[in-house]
Amino acid sequence: MLGTYFYHEIVRKTVVSFGTLFNQIYVKHNDSSGNVESEIKVPLAYGPAQKFLARIEQQQDLNRAVQITLPRMSFEMTSISYDATRKSGITQTFKAIDKKSKVKKVFMPVPYNLGFELNIMTKLNDDALQIVEQILPFFQPAFNITVELVNSIGEKRDIPVVLDSISFQDDYEGDFSTRRALIYTLQFTAKTFLFGPIADSTDGIIRKVQIDYYSDSDPKTAKREVRYTATPTARKDYDNDTGSLLTEHVDTTETVISLNDTSTFEVDDRVIIGSEIMKVTAKTSNSMTVKRGFSSTIATEHVLGAKLNVLSTADDALIVPGDDFGFSESLDFFETGADFSPTRKIDI
Amino acid sequence: MALNPFFLQGSSSEQRLVQELINEQLKMYGVDVTYIPRKIVNRDTILNEIETSKFDDNYTIEAYVNTYEGYSGAGDILTKFGMSLKDELTITISKERFDDYIATFLSGEDTDEIILSSRPREGDLVYFPLGQRLFEVKFVEHEDPFYQLGKNYVYQLKCELFEYEDEVIDTSIEEVDTQIKEEGYITTLQVIGIGETALSSAVINDGYVRKIFLNNDGSGFTSTPIVQFDDSPVSGGTATAVAITTSIAGVRSVKEIVMTNAGFGYTTVPLISIYSGGGTGAAATCLIETTDQGVVSFAVNDAGSGYPVPPTVTIDVPSAGAVATATTGVGGTVTSLTLTNPGTAYTTAPSVTLSTPASGINTATATATIGTGGTVTALTITDAGSGYGSNPTVTISNDDSIKSTETASAKAEVSEGNVVTAIRIINPGIGYTAAPTVTIADPPLISGSGAFQFNELITGSKSGTTARVKNWDAGTRTLRISYVDGVFTDGETIVGAASSATYAVDFHTNDDVYDKYTDNDSIETEADLIVDFTESNPFGNY
Repeated sequence: MLGTYFYHEIVRKTVVSFGTLFNQIYVKHNDSSGNVESEIKVPLAYGPAQKFLARIEQQQDLNRAVQITLPRMSFEMTSISYDATRKSGITQTFKAIDKKSKVKKVFMPVPYNLGFELNIMTKLNDDALQIVEQILPFFQPAFNITVELVNSIGEKRDIPVVLDSISFQDDYEGDFSTRRALIYTLQFTAKTFLFGPIADSTDGIIRKVQIDYYSDSDPKTAKREVRYTATPTARKDYDNDTGSLLTEHVDTTETVISLNDTSTFEVDDRVIIGSEIMKVTAKTSNSMTVKRGFSSTIATEHVLGAKLNVLSTADDALIVPGDDFGFSESLDFFETGADFSPTRKIDI
Repeated sequence: MALNPFFLQGSSSEQRLVQELINEQLKMYGVDVTYIPRKIVNRDTILNEIETSKFDDNYTIEAYVNTYEGYSGAGDILTKFGMSLKDELTITISKERFDDYIATFLSGEDTDEIILSSRPREGDLVYFPLGQRLFEVKFVEHEDPFYQLGKNYVYQLKCELFEYEDEVIDTSIEEVDTQIKEEGYITTLQVIGIGETALSSAVINDGYVRKIFLNNDGSGFTSTPIVQFDDSPVSGGTATAVAITTSIAGVRSVKEIVMTNAGFGYTTVPLISIYSGGGTGAAATCLIETTDQGVVSFAVNDAGSGYPVPPTVTIDVPSAGAVATATTGVGGTVTSLTLTNPGTAYTTAPSVTLSTPASGINTATATATIGTGGTVTALTITDAGSGYGSNPTVTISNDDSIKSTETASAKAEVSEGNVVTAIRIINPGIGYTAAPTVTIADPPLISGSGAFQFNELITGSKSGTTARVKNWDAGTRTLRISYVDGVFTDGETIVGAASSATYAVDFHTNDDVYDKYTDNDSIETEADLIVDFTESNPFGNY
């Protein structure tokens, strides 16, 4: 049952996204006059590491002269738990488009909370305060990061990173055999989502709807009378196929517009300038009479040099799920007794 | 009960003998260590900690290693902060030797830097040459052995490996100083060694695009759109330009349109198409000049080298300015002004300025009168001044604000190879009758020289930023630096305090790519692929 291989690297991506929040933290030290003496970008790393790798990388010289360099920050994932408060219907799905424009069916993701711990180790209390102060104001108590959790469908989700608690250790008391250790620990919860396998979907844009109306319910004698057809029409230019330019500024009410070339336009064409669609009602060699604000768009001003494109059937064919599009409807009346064959897609 | 008076509990001569014996034993069986006192640079009096320290003195002293079987402590351990070396060392030094050879010198130091000089101090460093390690004194035990013959003769220094941050260690002992050569926050400064001035020439013509108006900056661009002018009626005369985009709140739009060629031969205003780049709505119009000539294009005759930032481009004015000389007479007064060149294209009488006499007072003044054709026809002395020992110089203004012509302006583009690749036209100017001279500013440095030394201070000429050299690679002209107190500006000159080495800054990157613990850069690189910060980015660039 289980075992369909998939790996979206969601936990890893959440780890990376959490870590990157803290990779531009600085500590500055001043001289006695208050001038900056040095500036340090606080090193950050994911705490857990392969032991041999840490040893051979970080201690290439076995006689390393110093104990450690400070300040440092490390973070690590400490827990994974289901978040029942964000539960959604287990059978609920949504459609998504993959990078090859294919429709995919995706089950709603499962909400999981990842616990994180950010540790800050400094030599000076002032260093720790500088670091902590650069972090805390951004968490009230959550800070949202938008992460592309599933690459194949470009699924982006807001992941709230909640600051749960802050604690610190300052061992300044006691004998002198142990060195003072200053470690601040910030606990976070990242509310992420885990996605299951992404399946192909047979769904897509319905390119044509056709209904034949019959005047009788007896299938033997009934003759179809009316055919209603609806097809999607584009509301934006997909193929950038024309590209004439306005040769004047056009206000919101002007219906005769001047352009440098009208040869690619025909009467009844739908043309688009910016977000406004117009319908061509007449044309000369360098101007066209148009109906403004067509297809429920709003008539707006256009500047000289703005580009016009025709919305053609080629644009209609390029509509993909998720796009804003309209419909073109038509009615045909018949007097013959032919029927439509769904398999051959012709009247027989 | 009082002590037995017939026995001595340690006479001064006995104590002296014991001290001498200890000194001798330490010299025979000890190790020469380097004692490095901590000097306080800045102290936080509220949080009670030394914010900034330096270690720039050294004292060699013989010490006996108490932990002769090896270091004590927890050894090398892996922590959540990476490798940590918890080695500890206890050494014994002679009290007398410390008093005579270290305390004496410490007492002469600035008391703000050395707040205690009478004994070894916790926080000071000890360089242990056998292990080539820097230990920090954690505790000074002065009563072990306990009052032998009524006195203590040694200090026991309980040490732990130094936790390094950004302390300057400049003891002048190379073996000691270089121990932290690869430790701490180290960034990279790429410098330029050799520069050569770029050369360019201008072409003038008429029927060119005089000015571009960006009427609509558009939105939604994902790459730079293409800007296209209608063809010029004259072959090869079509203007060309590039769009420069900017992103505000995640929306990328056209910021400006800069001409690469102003074209020629236009008799009517060409249309400008702005297309491609994924955005919509950008639109621009232009003005043309059909009568007078302006600078329509530039040729880069020599790309030069060593330009980390685009140099300034200066173009000669289109019309000559008036020139005059002055003559002085008795009492050093100006007696006459002689016009040697009347200039051209003046629309307003230019100002006339005479140089100030050596006394600094009683400067002569004069005015100019212009006639038809915009030439200066007369100069009138309004105040003859006095005290001129020689003829003063006369300066007649020649700026665009008082002329019918306008000087062209342009900006240079440089590539990653630090060479000038193109000159863009900001303003083609108007009224040129001959191709003007184009001057490209020199690169910041014609010839870099010298070799930077480890630990020397370098200073940026413009920013005043200072840093210390960790490593200098002459082959790649790469400096590893630390203790940086600001940001080095691209193109500024840096000079080494000790070596006097001088080079120009190409760029400064603030990522530490040398520390093997630091993963900031790789985390950021991976996050850039998946985190969407188009809405806002309160943490800055991450």
